[in-house]
Amino acid sequence: MFDPYNIFDWAFLVPLLPALAFVFVGLLGPRLKRLEYGGWLAVGFGGAAMALGVTLAAEEMLSPGTYTDQQYTWLSLPGNGSGAFPNGFSLVVGTLVDPISALMLIVVTVVGFLVLLYSIGYMHQDRGLPRYYAELSLFLAAMNGLVLSDNLLEFFLFWELVGVCSYFLIGFYYEKPSAASAAKEAFLVTRVGDILFLLGIFVYFSTYATRGAAGGWAANGFPFVQGNAPYLAGAMGGHSTTLTIAGLLILGGAAGKSAQFPLHVWLPDAMEGPTTVSALIHAATMVAAGVYLLAVASLFLGFTPTDQLAIVAIGGFTSFFAATMALVNPDIKRVIAYSTISQLGYMVLAVGAGFAMVGLYHLFTHAFFKALLFLAAGSVIHAVGTQDLFKMGGLGKPMRITGFAFLVGGLSLSGIFPFAGFWSKDDILSSVYGTLATHPLYWPFFLMALVTVFLTAYYIFRAFFLTFSGSAPRDPGLGHAHEGAWVMTGPLLVLSGLAIVAGLLPFAHGFGSLLPGAGIPPNYGSTDLLLSGASLGLAGLGIGLAYYLWGNGRVFALADSSPAQPVRRLLLRRYYMKDAYDAVGTRGVYGLARGADFVERYMIDGTVHGLERAFAGLSDRLRKIESGVVLDYAAFLVSGLLFLLLFLLVIGPWVASNGGL
Amino acid sequence: MSDPISTASFLGLSGALLGVGLFGILTRRNFILLLISIEIAINAAVLNFVYFAAFSSTAASGLNGQAAAVVLVGLAATEIAVGLAIVLALSRLRGSINVAEATSLRL
Repeated sequence: MFDPYNIFDWAFLVPLLPALAFVFVGLLGPRLKRLEYGGWLAVGFGGAAMALGVTLAAEEMLSPGTYTDQQYTWLSLPGNGSGAFPNGFSLVVGTLVDPISALMLIVVTVVGFLVLLYSIGYMHQDRGLPRYYAELSLFLAAMNGLVLSDNLLEFFLFWELVGVCSYFLIGFYYEKPSAASAAKEAFLVTRVGDILFLLGIFVYFSTYATRGAAGGWAANGFPFVQGNAPYLAGAMGGHSTTLTIAGLLILGGAAGKSAQFPLHVWLPDAMEGPTTVSALIHAATMVAAGVYLLAVASLFLGFTPTDQLAIVAIGGFTSFFAATMALVNPDIKRVIAYSTISQLGYMVLAVGAGFAMVGLYHLFTHAFFKALLFLAAGSVIHAVGTQDLFKMGGLGKPMRITGFAFLVGGLSLSGIFPFAGFWSKDDILSSVYGTLATHPLYWPFFLMALVTVFLTAYYIFRAFFLTFSGSAPRDPGLGHAHEGAWVMTGPLLVLSGLAIVAGLLPFAHGFGSLLPGAGIPPNYGSTDLLLSGASLGLAGLGIGLAYYLWGNGRVFALADSSPAQPVRRLLLRRYYMKDAYDAVGTRGVYGLARGADFVERYMIDGTVHGLERAFAGLSDRLRKIESGVVLDYAAFLVSGLLFLLLFLLVIGPWVASNGGL
Repeated sequence: MSDPISTASFLGLSGALLGVGLFGILTRRNFILLLISIEIAINAAVLNFVYFAAFSSTAASGLNGQAAAVVLVGLAATEIAVGLAIVLALSRLRGSINVAEATSLRL
């Protein structure tokens, strides 16, 4: 029941406020005297949503628990005591606040608000400002709704909604063909994952709906309630194969959204959108939804050991695979995009190994330092008008705040003590390390993740040195770069602060223990000082190498005869995976479409048109009979009569005398 | 009732009339002679009605046959009226009543 004195019953306002901003800015924005006013309106609504979201999260930290508020019954079927749902079936749309959704709420509302504010400066020259703010507000509404969903079906609806907002915003500069095609690519690739996710829901549904789960889980539309996991474990019985398949399908959905191998190809291309969109959607929130789904699924649905191995494999491999592609890329945004894929791989790895809370912890810290990196990169791009690292250089002097912010983000991403990334990355490595004794198959993926620490530090500091070190830009046209307005530097400073302290926030580190109840896997592995030292050493080595090759304005050029050249080309071409997908698309799917086109055009239409042409030709011949000469008509008349007589007097009797037809 | 004329000869007569009519329809070019040929062909049918009415078993069906013959005579008369009107129109239009010259009877 709705209780106005219970703050958790007001949670529905968190998605509703940005949704209102979407309506207002979308309808009124273009009519306001200045386009920025619409932006400030969206910032206001975003700020209100942030205030409420953070209050809810703080309230949750003070009194942990699961607070559901079922606002609206969407569909309710009465039960008849037998069949699949003896107690009936109902779909409820409501909100649920528990420690993990509170955590996500902080990320989404805080980063969302800062990005909205930053965009005032970043997008100020754009004619499409009202459209931008309307779409961004809709995204925030959908993302908050996703975080607060209290059941799997509601979750799926918002999941699709954030996908479509991502499509809109990647294609924001829709006049640019590359942006339009990147938007389509992102939509189609994530769609593959979405279908797998939906199939996964169907499998869970049919399994638990038909296996006598009387009045239980599926009958209530898959609520995210604690204690489901043990319930499911009990109900699972001998159906572990079904559960494995369902888990793999969920993994497919998460891989599409979180850009995990082999569905990672869309994320680097999604950088065609505004940098602010990359920061919010393609770094901090939407792409993290896949990890959130996996975490929720592992807590509330449960994965089988086979599923876990698959998730660990995908996560560990993706973290390494994406990091290698970031090593050589000349585009500042794409380097950060590959880094996002790689870091999401870490989170997936942690969730797969059974440490959902550790994965979410890294999600939390990553959201801040990655949004920081993106916004700092956006500040640079805004100032110099290019994304090419090799044209930049020496920007540290005119853009001190941006340079500082990028440095903080880079150190945090590299996992340097005591920045936020250190705590969460170390947690992942040590907790996975702890499972190696019982799960030797995790070894290769753990090693990949460990090597990735070195690669990460190298590529992010390569980008840092190329952008900020040296005395002047390599492209002399970029000499007039200067820092942006306070709406841009302000969020950078706030996020810098968060990127330093987010890992230390006690509730962030301890929120896992706030989720009580049986069936929750252990949250943290043991902290291994040796391992922490090793990972710090690797990160330091990466930074050192980056400094040696690129520091102080140096530009390291690989000799043309170097045996590493083919590797570099392979990395620049993204392992030819996009080309392979394009080939499958153009040769395979397009070939199939051409086959279908042939059947349609020549076989089906051909039959129809052929018949039509045959009859048209026949009637063209027959109309010659109608000569207009009266005597001819008389002749036809008489010959008709004669034929009739012939038939009646000769053929008819002949047939009758021979026994009829 | 005595039957001085055989059925075969009667049918032969009406068949011959029909043949004469059809022959005329096919060969005459003069519109009036064409109308006369049609009239002969119709009268072959009238003769059949009258003849078979005389052989009918009941008085009612006999009367039916005779009535049909009278109707056919009326039909022939109206047909001639229409036909002659066409002849007049044709002669005014073309200055001739040669049927072979009427070649525009089509869409």
